[in-house]
Amino acid sequence: MTDRAIARLAAIFVVLFALLALRQFWVQVVIGPKLAENQYNPRHSQIATGRGSILASNGTPLAVTRGEKRTYPQGALVAQAIGYASSRYGTSGLEDAFDRVLTAHTDAVDPLTQLRQIVAGTQGAPRGADVVTTLDLTIQSALVAGLSRHARAAGIVLDPRTGAVLALASIPSYDPNQLDARWTSLLKDPASPLLDRSTAGLYPPGSTFKIVTAADALDAGVVTPQSTFSDNGGLRIGNFTVHNDEEETTGTQDLAGAFALSSNVDFAQIALKIGVDTWFEYAAKWGLGQPVAFDLPVSRDRLPAKKDVYAGILAQLGFGQASLLVTPMRMALIGATVARDGTTPRPYLVRRIAGGETGVATRPETIAQPITAETAHEVRDLMVQVVKRGTGTAARLPGVTVAGKTGTATNPHGRSHAWFVAFAPAEAPRVVVAIVIENVGYGGTYAAPIARDVLRVALAQSRS
Amino acid sequence: MPEALTRLRACAPMVVALVLAALTLRLAPRGALLPDWLPFALAGLALAWPALRPAGVTRDDTLPALAVLLSSVGLAVVARLQPELAQKQIVWLGFSLVLAVAAGPVFARFRVLAAYKYIWILGTIALFVALALFGQEVNGARLWIRLGPIQFEPVEVIKLLIVLFMASYLNDTADVIARTRPWSLRANAKYLGPLFLGWGVSMGILVFEHDLGMAVLLLATFVAMLYVATRRIDLVAGATGIFGLAAWWAATHYSYVERRIAVWRDPFHDPLGAGYQAVQSLFSLANGGLFGTGYAQGRPDYIPEVATDYVYAAFGEEWGAIGSIVLLLVFLTVVLRALRVAQRQPDLYAKLLATGLAAVFGFQIVIIIGGVLRLFPLTGITLPFISYGGSSLVTNFLLVALLWAISSERRTA
Repeated sequence: MTDRAIARLAAIFVVLFALLALRQFWVQVVIGPKLAENQYNPRHSQIATGRGSILASNGTPLAVTRGEKRTYPQGALVAQAIGYASSRYGTSGLEDAFDRVLTAHTDAVDPLTQLRQIVAGTQGAPRGADVVTTLDLTIQSALVAGLSRHARAAGIVLDPRTGAVLALASIPSYDPNQLDARWTSLLKDPASPLLDRSTAGLYPPGSTFKIVTAADALDAGVVTPQSTFSDNGGLRIGNFTVHNDEEETTGTQDLAGAFALSSNVDFAQIALKIGVDTWFEYAAKWGLGQPVAFDLPVSRDRLPAKKDVYAGILAQLGFGQASLLVTPMRMALIGATVARDGTTPRPYLVRRIAGGETGVATRPETIAQPITAETAHEVRDLMVQVVKRGTGTAARLPGVTVAGKTGTATNPHGRSHAWFVAFAPAEAPRVVVAIVIENVGYGGTYAAPIARDVLRVALAQSRS
Repeated sequence: MPEALTRLRACAPMVVALVLAALTLRLAPRGALLPDWLPFALAGLALAWPALRPAGVTRDDTLPALAVLLSSVGLAVVARLQPELAQKQIVWLGFSLVLAVAAGPVFARFRVLAAYKYIWILGTIALFVALALFGQEVNGARLWIRLGPIQFEPVEVIKLLIVLFMASYLNDTADVIARTRPWSLRANAKYLGPLFLGWGVSMGILVFEHDLGMAVLLLATFVAMLYVATRRIDLVAGATGIFGLAAWWAATHYSYVERRIAVWRDPFHDPLGAGYQAVQSLFSLANGGLFGTGYAQGRPDYIPEVATDYVYAAFGEEWGAIGSIVLLLVFLTVVLRALRVAQRQPDLYAKLLATGLAAVFGFQIVIIIGGVLRLFPLTGITLPFISYGGSSLVTNFLLVALLWAISSERRTA
């Protein structure tokens, strides 16, 4: 009897070991090949060898392989967007998005040719293609210099005519050359230096969103530039009261005045005039809440669900609060849309792929037209007034008409986020800037001066 | 057959094992197994092991041979992963072989061990207390005791003591327990009470040492021995059920256990943090494919703790699915031969002891390899004879030496 039980135990072991053997075969042979391709597998990224370079627009190297080592000559200047290619920690940024292009491939030629090359000794070490970006390091330096005065900030600079990204930065940054050594502390840093705030950071847009509210209202015809609004310091909607930042009142104003002085009370009323249905129609036209096709991953904006938007929420959406969250990239695209007659360009960071004999150049595209050219011109005039006489006077530049909009976004994490979205020259825009500085206060005080410095440098660069 | 000739024949499996061991160890990097004469000394010891059996009996001589073969594979793997550990491992191997050779004649009288059942359980408890008082915590589990320069893992010894205790106790009470009806509470409590001390130990390990792997191993061994002794499925189900509840409780109350389960379910959720080891070991296996990269050609060095918990992944990368399945077959052979030893012995004590040793050896392999292959959550226990670790090596050699002694059968002319 005991022996029968022992025999059963033996049978159980045979079954268990058979399961192990099957599983072994499954892991190593059946799913193995696919598993090995995973981006975190350090093997296929003997990563630096033969890897193509990433270059700035003028050819300055941003990421290059020297021997077996991947180095980043610009260090922390463009860290998050370029990313890293580490045999320990995988890839990020452009190093990740263009990994296939950058990686050295040997399988490009057929085996016979390969054999002939080996025999003839003409087989060079395989090398990946180079990725040429649209980045201008002079503008990038100006942007980073401005943002670096603060603990946490992000900014992005676009050419509205094409959608080319001239600079993008996220503060705090890190030195990708030190990645392997500092990995743990970078991960633990509460300020998330690895995060690219310019494309992945989600913020309430605050009053910069009045650009969209004004554009929607003008485009839908619910207001005209001549409409007047009265702000007595507060507006009661149900059990919710809208008021301005410092409880000030702007009195009776036309649209330009309400916009330039950034009256929340007036824009709450404009949003209510637009109505929920029309508001969401325009949101879809702007692409809000939809993915942005870019060379790097862009976070999706967060919109409230339509069924949850009652009058009190709609009023707050009018000045970019409630549960609305957007990326700095989104605000730059909104600025670019106003700057170029109501059409939205597809943003791009990679200008050209320079692989061996063949190169692929990026062609600028238009991805949306949320408003008419006429509306765009009217909104542009509103934005000019902001810098001329409103909340954005800190962005004035001698000899250039700057169009802009400030934002001071209240949020649950402390002081308000300071925003500024601007373009210049207003008559024929060549540069769009969107800046956000976390938890410092007024957009006009903190973000506008940085935007001004960046615009000055960027305009000088684009003239040359 | 004259005695001398049978002794010579007893050495035949060991000679085959030593030839295979020599072929394996020739792969090892130069200098890892210094000094040069040491492997030869070890081979001499290994030959002495089956040769020095008592006169007038035959034993299952494949068991020592397989132990030597497996330990040479382990040495080759460790030498390739961490040469400085191989130096220590070869010393431990020598010490284990000396113990095994000495144990050959001593263990011949293994039946006297049946009398000391309470010594075994007291020893277990003493080791526990020592662990609780002086233990050092590694990765959230308290597993090590440091004695001067030597670190040792008491659980490796505890697993043998528990088998010894269970075999003795069940030898005395198996008949009564088998005949007791499941619903007779008092009778069950009377005979099963002390027995559940053994079960309690695995619970204790789970709760106090946070060592889920060893707890599951002891429980599986306990259940297997209880089943073989009494054939009472209700006890098997009951013990497993209560342990299952305890494990579930641990999984929800100890972040250490919770983390392991989360990593098992989706190692790619946090591939650079909590899941790093698991993910790297999967890449290692994937890189090996069917035939493996070849010895020292893979990159298992990406896996942390590769010489201990994840040694099997490193083996899989370099020896391939084929090599790994062959290794599984060798392990299974040891388990099945040990169970055959149990079947061929006339007395219940020998049967139970051999069954327990076979079970503890077999389940340990299933638990760690299943963990590495992600069949279930990984729990940090060693792979017998392959992983680096002195306590593990010594214990497993003693285990095989004891099985070999139990396998004695009077030689019929």
